[in-house]
Order: sequence, then structure tokens, then C-alpha cells
Amino acid sequence: MLTKLFRGLLAGAFLFCPPLVMAQAEPALDERHILLKALLSEDVDEQIRLVQKLQGAEDPMVEQALAAWRQGGVFIYETNGVKTPFLLDPKVEADSKSAAIRIEDGKPLQDEQKKPIRFLAADLTPVDTTSKLRIVIKDDLDLITLSNPDPKVRQAAVNKLGLDQNKSNLRFFQARMEKEKNVKVRRALDEAIAITELADPDANVEAGAARKLGEMRSIAAVDQLRGLVKDTAKKPKEVVQAARISVKQIEEYMFKGMLVGTAFRGLSLAAVLLVITLGLAITFGLMGVINMAHGEIMTVGAYSAYVTQNYFIKWFGSGGRGFEFYFPVALVVGFVAAALAGLLLERLVVRFLYKRPLESLLATWGVSLVLQQVFRSEFGPNNVDVTSPRWLSGSFDVNDVSFAYNRIFVIGFAVFVMALTYFILNRTTLGLQVRAVMQNRHMAACIGVRTERVNMMTFALGSGLAGLAGVCLSQLANVGPSVGQNYIVDSFMVVVLGGVGNLVGTITAALGIGVVDEMLQPFFGAVLGKIMVLSAIILFLQWRPSGIFVTRSRSLEG
Amino acid sequence: MSADRFLSKRETIVLVLLALVVLVLMPCLNAFLPKTSPFYVTDFTLTVYGKYLCYSVLTLGVDLLWGYTGLLSLGQSLFFALGGYALGMHLLLMIGKLGQYHNDLPDFMVFLEYKRLPPHWVPFYHFWFAAAAVVWVPGAVAAIFGFLAFRSRIKGVYFSILSQALTYAACLMFFRNDFTFGGNNGMTDFKFILGHDLRASATQRGLFIASGLLLFGSYLLCRWLTHTRFGKVQQAIRDSENRVLFSGYATANFKLFVFVLAAVLAGLGDALFVPQAGIINPSEMAPDKSLEAVVWVAVGGRGTLLGPILGAVGVNMLKSYATRAFPNSWYYLLGGMFIFVVLFMPKGLVGLPRQLQDLWQKFRPRSQTNPVPAEEDADKVGRARPAEPGTPAPPPPRDETVNGTGSL
Repeated sequence: MLTKLFRGLLAGAFLFCPPLVMAQAEPALDERHILLKALLSEDVDEQIRLVQKLQGAEDPMVEQALAAWRQGGVFIYETNGVKTPFLLDPKVEADSKSAAIRIEDGKPLQDEQKKPIRFLAADLTPVDTTSKLRIVIKDDLDLITLSNPDPKVRQAAVNKLGLDQNKSNLRFFQARMEKEKNVKVRRALDEAIAITELADPDANVEAGAARKLGEMRSIAAVDQLRGLVKDTAKKPKEVVQAARISVKQIEEYMFKGMLVGTAFRGLSLAAVLLVITLGLAITFGLMGVINMAHGEIMTVGAYSAYVTQNYFIKWFGSGGRGFEFYFPVALVVGFVAAALAGLLLERLVVRFLYKRPLESLLATWGVSLVLQQVFRSEFGPNNVDVTSPRWLSGSFDVNDVSFAYNRIFVIGFAVFVMALTYFILNRTTLGLQVRAVMQNRHMAACIGVRTERVNMMTFALGSGLAGLAGVCLSQLANVGPSVGQNYIVDSFMVVVLGGVGNLVGTITAALGIGVVDEMLQPFFGAVLGKIMVLSAIILFLQWRPSGIFVTRSRSLEG
Repeated sequence: MSADRFLSKRETIVLVLLALVVLVLMPCLNAFLPKTSPFYVTDFTLTVYGKYLCYSVLTLGVDLLWGYTGLLSLGQSLFFALGGYALGMHLLLMIGKLGQYHNDLPDFMVFLEYKRLPPHWVPFYHFWFAAAAVVWVPGAVAAIFGFLAFRSRIKGVYFSILSQALTYAACLMFFRNDFTFGGNNGMTDFKFILGHDLRASATQRGLFIASGLLLFGSYLLCRWLTHTRFGKVQQAIRDSENRVLFSGYATANFKLFVFVLAAVLAGLGDALFVPQAGIINPSEMAPDKSLEAVVWVAVGGRGTLLGPILGAVGVNMLKSYATRAFPNSWYYLLGGMFIFVVLFMPKGLVGLPRQLQDLWQKFRPRSQTNPVPAEEDADKVGRARPAEPGTPAPPPPRDETVNGTGSL
């Protein structure tokens, strides 16, 4: 009541000042004048009192000015004894000066000749603030954010303010609730009101809020509720009881969420591993060639994505609709480029070494060194920037578990690649020939299979799959000259664990390693988790030396 | 001396000459010549060659495994680094209060806010404990891993991949700060060894001579071992493990012994490497380092004992030259050399004269000579092949047979 009266008085007092006639919106008028008065006031206590009145202000100029004031960006222009507060335009001009904007009406500040004045930011002395005042301004700004046009920003502000448990915020929450239409923000407001009520002196309100938070499965409130449970001495029994039940409900919910989230991340890690490993499963598993350059062939795919992206930016611009389609094109380019690289590698190096697997390991390692150096001199030693198309970035939440689109895509893509590999190996002539040559090279040659050509095609296919993995990886991780090295040990382990020459085994092993790795990470950290997985694989191979699925053979040397 | 039994006269002479150069001549040139003399060997050169000698000890182990037993272990850098860490811990403790923080604790522990020395560090105040650890730590790790691997008959490329995974896991482990071995910075700033200042010329000479002695000792040991019955079984395992197994030999035990021996050699090598290099950190045990050591053996010539030494010294000399001369294309050189050696020089540098001789035989005008087919197995390097009197003369080489050979 008093506030209203005061505001009215203020407005009345300022009506007679000439510049105010130009001001437009009525509520803004009040708020701006309070702000101006605060800015021009010499008394800190008065300033604080005035600024506190600006809670819940809706005028964007006030918000801007408050934010600027807090950071020392509000200045005062003085001519003929008239003080005019102003801000600097954030846009800095060529001579590093910027235009001055009057806070009262948002118009450019003019000198006596009606010319706009521009200033160098460094030449000006800002209006003073004390730390106490800055805190008050911060509170204002937080409350102002409640009416931000972006629902996500609103939601974040509500969550943050709720945790303050400041009772005076309640009325702003309730006022906002009446206007709010967005479901998520409404939920956040409910939550914030309940959390604020947890600090209420009335035990009934408190217990009710605790129960409500439990029903809402509010993860944000769990710390406060735990605090209540511990505080058995001071708090009434029913409050502690309600809080205890709610904590239990929320913890159960969080645990389920963690399980689902971990399983999802594990699955997507497994999918990446699987796409990388499928290529290896063909070159190593079926052909018996240890290709240490497999990681670098994958990097060829990743860099193809980068190059394709750059061409699309050149053709369509980085924001254009055409740019969104670079990714499918990159998949094709990556496959072809990697397959060609693999073909060259097979023709120039690997084909001489089919009978000397240990030496193929060494020679291809040499190739990997050379390729890494090629990447380094071609694309620079640092990671390059591959932007995901819009439809692959972002995520959605279900019950507080976030699902990233790119991870979902990778899972789907892995399934697709798996189906493709299966189809090629089991339903095409090439696949038939591949299997025949791998089982018995001489016999296949005798019945007219051109084994040399089959070797070539198989190796190219395996490398092409690695290229696809690389394109995929460019959406999830950094692309750099030595990115292949990070995956080579893991993917060899997947093939060995799954059982060499066995695609089903490879799939199982990739799933197993991916999920277990992700499960261990929250408890032991990334590195220790990885070490444990590697040790577990070494021990597992004690029990089943040929991997999970054994390809049975009568050959002694297997 | 037992050496007479297995060393030919020529080999003995070469060895003695080399020993004189390394153990006497180079240190003398360093110690007694004035610095202005053109024959003066600088302290730096001595340290650099000392490091090469240590690498040679490592490669002897690699060759014993790969060249003589057919086991390509990619875990040798781990054993190498373990030996280095064991001695590095002692050297770090010997710095005492002279470190940057002037604390009894090593610098990195002060930095990571340790209150006192972790218990497993305490015995490393004693040099002999550290020296023993140089031998038994790599040995024990190799014994455990080898036992598990050979028991379940993991061989060939699977053994390589698993040993690489082991190295990778250990490398990740040592990179962690809370593993109490200095994290990714490792250990450095060593000052004293057995009370001698590491920067003094005399200490460096001593380390160089010690490296030389270690190398000659390891060489003689390997030479002796490969000539015993044990060595024959070892080579038989390389050529056909199953036949050896079916003849009643427990091949796993043979392999385990060689594996542990190679690990111990590697550990000893790095124990002398670290005081000369002045630093040990986890990147020493990255899987790539193992592969690099294998390259040296391949370049020098595997299955011979001179080859690994030649390879380690030669490739590293080339490396130190090339990284300075063309820093950007050094990897092209290394990678390219590697591919070339594997594809075209399966016997390495040591086998090169023989290979050239065969090539000469092949392209020599046929009318002038008694045709000799290109050897399918150009083993027994450097030894004359007596014409076998009982067998009929081999058929003249036709194009197909010539093309079909040349590979192992």
C-alpha cells in the first residue's frame, strides 16, 4: 500500500520535468524514475531502498541499466547543473568510441547543438556502487529474469530463486504463476514455491511442502530435504517424517534416472565402438591382417566430414538450409575416401604380408605414422572444428534424464551399419566370395574366385566402414591428427574379446565394453574405469582364450 | 673363459675391438684430451651414445623375444620404464632438500600436498634396494602377465595386442597424479647417484662405461643362451611351436623364461638410461615406444644379435640428425623406412649384404655362371654355403620360381 503511494508521489513529482513528457509506457515510467532517482541519489541507504523497489520490474531499459550499473557501466553527463544518467552503446565504433544512450528515454544523448555525443569508455568515471548495493541489484535482475521471453531462461531463473528460500520471493512466483503458460516453467514455479515454503516457520506448511516435493520427485530440493531430516532436534516430528519419506522417494527416482542415463550413454559409447570395430572385424577378424593404420583410416573419414562441411559453408553459407544437409553427403564422401585409402594401402603394402601377420602389424604402424604426419601438415596439429547440423545438436529430457540427439543418431547409425555389413556379407556375391576366400583361400581360387580381387574389395570395405565411423565420430568428439590412436587399442580389444572372425561376437563385445566402461566411470573416474576394463579383458581371456564366441576350426594353428 | 666355446675367433676379435672403442677409447678421449682438440668427445656426445647403448640393451631383449622366440611383445616399453622408475625413485629421494621447495619430500609430493612419504617409497632411500627393484619389478610384472598369457596359449598377434593393452593400461595409470609416481610430469631434476654429482664429467663417463659394460654383458649372455640347448628349443618354438609342444617340451615355460629375461634386460637398460637422460615420465611407456624398439630391431636385422644393436644405435643417430634437419618430415622418414624395411629387407641391415649378393646372382648374365637359385630362406647370415656334393645340381631358375621366392 505504502509502496504504491510512494510510486504515485514520485511519478507526480517527476511529471514536471521536461524530458519526461516524451516517456512512453506508464509502468515503465514509474520504474525508470525510481531508477533515475537512485542513480542520482548521494545517500547509499536511499539508493538501496529505491533499488529494492525495482524488484519485478518489467521495463527492459531498467534491466539493461541495472545490469550496466552493477558492472560499472552507467555514467552521468552534467551540463548547466542538469545531471543526465546514460549508458554506452555496447557497439564500439571504429575509433573505439561508442554512442551514449540516455536512460530516461533510451534516446541518444545530445549536446547543446543537438549533436549526438560519443565517448571513449576508458575516459569516463562510472556511477559508484557498494557491494551491498550490487547484491540488491543482483536480486532485482534475478527477479526481472522471471519475465524473460525465453522459457528456458525463465525456468533457470525460477530454479535458482527457489533455492534461495527467500520468503519475499513468493509473491513474485505467485504473480508469475498466474501469467505463465509454459508447462515446464509452471512446474519449476511449483517446485520453487514448495522449496521456499520449506523454510516456513509454520510446521504444517513446511510438512505439506516436503510432501509435495516428494510427490514431484524434485531433484533440486533433495539437499534441503536432507537438511531437514538431519535437523531432528529443532524441527517438529511431522516435518522430519515427511521430509524423510520425500528424500527416499527422490533418491529412488534419481537412482532410476542414473541407471537409465548410464545405460543410454553406455549404449551410445558401445555404438561408436561398434561402428569403429566393424571395419576392424572385417580386416582383422576375417582377413587376419593387423591394420595398425585402421585408426588413421577412420581419421580420413573424420577429416572428410570436415572438408565436406567447409565446402558446404562455401556454397550455402554456415546458416543456410543447404548446410544442414552436409552430413549425409559427408557420410558418402567419408566412406569413399576411406575405402580408397584402404585400397591403396592394400595394393601397396598389405598384400605382400598376408602370410606374415606380425610384420603387417609393423608395416601398417609405419603407414599410420606417415598418415598422422600427412594430417598434421595438411590440417594443422590442432583439432579442427566440425559443427553438427542443427538436427543433430541438442537433447531432450524425459524424467530428468537427458537424451542427446547425436547419441541417439549414433545408436541408430550403428544398427544401420550392422545391418549393412550383415547384408553385404551374407546376401551378396561379394560377401559369398569373401567368406569363401577367408575360409579356404586355395580352394576358393581353385573354383575360380579371383582371390586377389576379393582381398582388395574386402580390405576396401573394412576401411570404408572405418571411414563411416570417422564421420560419425566427428559429431561426438574432437577431430585431430592423432584421434585414431585413442580408439585403436580399444577396438582391437573388442575384436579379440568377441572372438576373431565372428561378427556376432564383435557386437556383443562392443556392447559389453561400452556399457561396463560407462557403468564404472561414475564410481572410479574415466581413467581408472578404463584400466579396470582392460584388466578385466585380460583376465577374461584366461577363461576363454579365443573370446566370447569361438569360431571352431580343425586347423591346429587356428 | 666360457666365451671361447661359443664365440668364433673372428667374432671375438670384433667384440674386443668394439669393447676397446666403447669402454676405453671414447671415455679416454673425453677425459684426457683438451677441449679444443678435434678428437675431443664432448660430455654431451658421451651421454647421447650412452643412451643409445641403453636402448641397445632393450632391443637385445626385444630380439630375444621376437627374433629368437617369435613373440612380438609390445610391452617392452613398460618394462623399460618400470626399471627407470625404480631407479628414478631413488635418485629423486637423493635430491634431499636441494629441490625447489627445499623439503625432504620430492618436489611433486610437496606440490600435490603430501604430508609424508608414502610407505612404499621409504625403502628406496637405499640404493641397493632400488637396484634390486630395477630387476625384480619388471621381472615380476612380466612373470605374472606371461604366466597368464602363455598358460592360456595366447600367441601370435593376440599376444602382441594383449601386451599392448597392458602397456596402455599401465601408461594411463602412471599418468594419474594420485598413483604416487609423479603423474604426467614424472621425475626429473636428479642431482646425485651414489654420492656423485650427475652433472660432473667423471660421473657421466662412469655411467657411459657402465652402459657399455651392461651391453657387452647382455650380449654375451644372449649369445651364450642362444647357443645352448635352451636356445635351440627357443628357436624351434619360433619355427613351429606345436611340433615342440608335441615333442614333450613345455613351451609355455620356455617362453615365460625368455619373456622375463627380456623384461629384466629392458629394466636394467632404463635404469642406466634415466640418470643419463635426467628424466623419467609416463610417456616413456606409451605403446608407441614399444613399437619403436621393434622398429630398431627390424631395421638392424632380427634373429641376429648384432642387428638389434646396430638398429638401436643407427636409427637413433638418424633420428637425432633428422629431427634437427627436417623436423616436420621426420615421421615420413621413420614411417617410410619402417614400411620399406618390412617389405623389402626382412633381414634388416645385417642381412643386407647377403640380400644384395642374391640380387647380383639373380641379375648376373646367366651364361657366365653356374646358376644358383635365389635362396628361399636366406638364414645363416654371413656364413659360406658349401655346395652339397650329394645332391644333383638344382634346376636353372625360371621366371616363375624366381618370382615366387624372396618372401619368408
